[in-house]
Amino acid sequence: MSEILVAAHGLGKSYPQVFRARDRLRALWRLLRGVPDTDATAVLRNVDIEVRRGESLGLIGENGAGKSTLLKLLTGVLTPTFGSVTVNGRVGALLELGAGFHPDYSGRDNIAMSAALYGLSAREMRERFDQIIEFADIGHYIDEPVKHYSSGMIVRLGFAVVAALQPDVLITDEVLAVGDESFQKKCVRWMEDYLAGGGTLILVSHSMYHVQKLCRRACWLRHGEVAASGDVFDVTQAYLAYHEAKLGKRPERPVAAAGGSEFQLIDMQLNGSGQEAPLLLEHNDPLRVSVGVHSRDGRAPVVVIGIARIDGTPVYGVSSEMDGVIPEAETPNTFRIGVEFANLALLPGSYVVKAHPLDPEGVRLFDTLERPLTIRGNSREFGLVRLPHVWFGVTAAPGARVRDVAGA
Amino acid sequence: MSALALASHFVRREIRNRYLGSFSGGLWALLQPLLQLAVYGFVWIYVFRMRIPGGPDAPGIVAFLAMGVWPWNAFAEALMRATTAIQDNSALIGKVSLPREVLVFSSVASSFILHGLGFCLIIVVLWVGGTPIHLAGLALALLAFAQLFVLALGFALLFAAIQVFVRDLAQSLAQLLPLWMFAGPVLYPRDFLPAHFRGWLDWNPFTFYAEYMRQTVLAYGQAETPLLLALAIAILVLAIGYAVFRRLASHFEDFL
Repeated sequence: MSEILVAAHGLGKSYPQVFRARDRLRALWRLLRGVPDTDATAVLRNVDIEVRRGESLGLIGENGAGKSTLLKLLTGVLTPTFGSVTVNGRVGALLELGAGFHPDYSGRDNIAMSAALYGLSAREMRERFDQIIEFADIGHYIDEPVKHYSSGMIVRLGFAVVAALQPDVLITDEVLAVGDESFQKKCVRWMEDYLAGGGTLILVSHSMYHVQKLCRRACWLRHGEVAASGDVFDVTQAYLAYHEAKLGKRPERPVAAAGGSEFQLIDMQLNGSGQEAPLLLEHNDPLRVSVGVHSRDGRAPVVVIGIARIDGTPVYGVSSEMDGVIPEAETPNTFRIGVEFANLALLPGSYVVKAHPLDPEGVRLFDTLERPLTIRGNSREFGLVRLPHVWFGVTAAPGARVRDVAGA
Repeated sequence: MSALALASHFVRREIRNRYLGSFSGGLWALLQPLLQLAVYGFVWIYVFRMRIPGGPDAPGIVAFLAMGVWPWNAFAEALMRATTAIQDNSALIGKVSLPREVLVFSSVASSFILHGLGFCLIIVVLWVGGTPIHLAGLALALLAFAQLFVLALGFALLFAAIQVFVRDLAQSLAQLLPLWMFAGPVLYPRDFLPAHFRGWLDWNPFTFYAEYMRQTVLAYGQAETPLLLALAIAILVLAIGYAVFRRLASHFEDFL
């Protein structure tokens, strides 16, 4: 086994709650006495990570899962609240756009500044200066203030410095995607050389493709804790599955969510599917809408089901009361009712299926549930639905097949 | 070693920064002390009609002022700049890992370098103008200048750390520094005070430096605080400042 370059044990980070000036004064006094904070917000808890020389680790997780905080702890920008971080060797970090660059100074000055921040001596810096400028390849802009740079140029400069640094560990996220085609190729080539030459990489990415391509191990952070860690394929599969489950689960809402209102929708099924993703249908396909309703006092509700275009324009709506039907009870407090549109005449486009429960008198509306619906196809007709129609006083256009659109 | 390289980089950057974009550039660094001294001299000689006690051996009023004002300028400006050093560099602190002391150190160091050069320049000007300068004493004075740097760095670390948490400090300091100056023999000799107030000046850690500069360079008067005590105070202040800074430094980014 090769040596461990980055190790974190029991790592945790909490941010203090600072709302008012008084809190700051209290925090100062507390810190001076060395008393730990009691009402801090924990953003990272109990994270253990080990990265050995030559390994590549991908960090994945939702927004706010603590990935950036973890990287800042690993690079030493933040100080851990709990646990410890040990880094052996030189860390090159390429995180936020232009981090550590001063906008008023020229590219040259900022290279010198970054190099000093990375701990290069003046002599090492001079030796690598030309190499950095050549790699960045931004022409005469090198002598202009960084505030005049495009975001691509800033990334070029930042990457050039890190490349010249020959770091033992490279920590980066997707900032590289800002560069243009030729520069990205250059970066990828450099990165592959770097990895092939035994370089160590920690990559944060939302692109499972990149993570699987560049990393052999992955770590999935969820709500500040490690949800899974290990082989990159296992972890990314688990992460993707979690996302699908999360999307699919949402319609099953907890009954208490509406504060115990009299009638509440439990779920909505479109053609038997409870998935949140838009249901795809062709023109004239059948659509079955089924909703579950919770009734606090066990009385059968009136249910309205309708379709609106994605911009809110109503297409059609009908209530169970209008058609003289009553939902059947599944259990004493839940009812299920459905409606089927055998040939849905909607024209191609995006729609929303809506359902509302009303009290048995059909007066008060209690809840709303919406599900997206997409009708595929390429029709040149106008409007929302195809109305049954017949042309008269016509002859068939030459070569055309007269469509039977008289309706069912 | 790398912290030192970083510090020297920051010092150079800060010095360049001050004159970057100003029309006269580095020339201003030379003109400014001369101009300031000319104004002080004019006011003290022609408006206040002040005379330094001590008969024919007493130095000129301009030389007297110069020995107090330059060390004070270096000291006061170092404190003012360093107090907000952490806050001003919050963008850097949140993004890059660096030893934070370096930011405070370079603010203090750049102030002392610029005003130290001004101090040397003034001494040359005074010497050309006929003021007797004691060369052996000059070396002692420069050592005392370095000791003043230690004192300033101690206060600066303390203030910079507290400023992160209590933002009022920098504003209060701007009000308090003139008071601090008048509470020391910078613009007047100790003898001007009524006898029972004179001892109070010893509570001001800066008093020693104004009096010691005059004692060594102009052979005028005698610093009442012993040199070793002043050195001990400077080191103690630095130790306290550094300890507080170290304790608070790891929490800076949470409060910036």
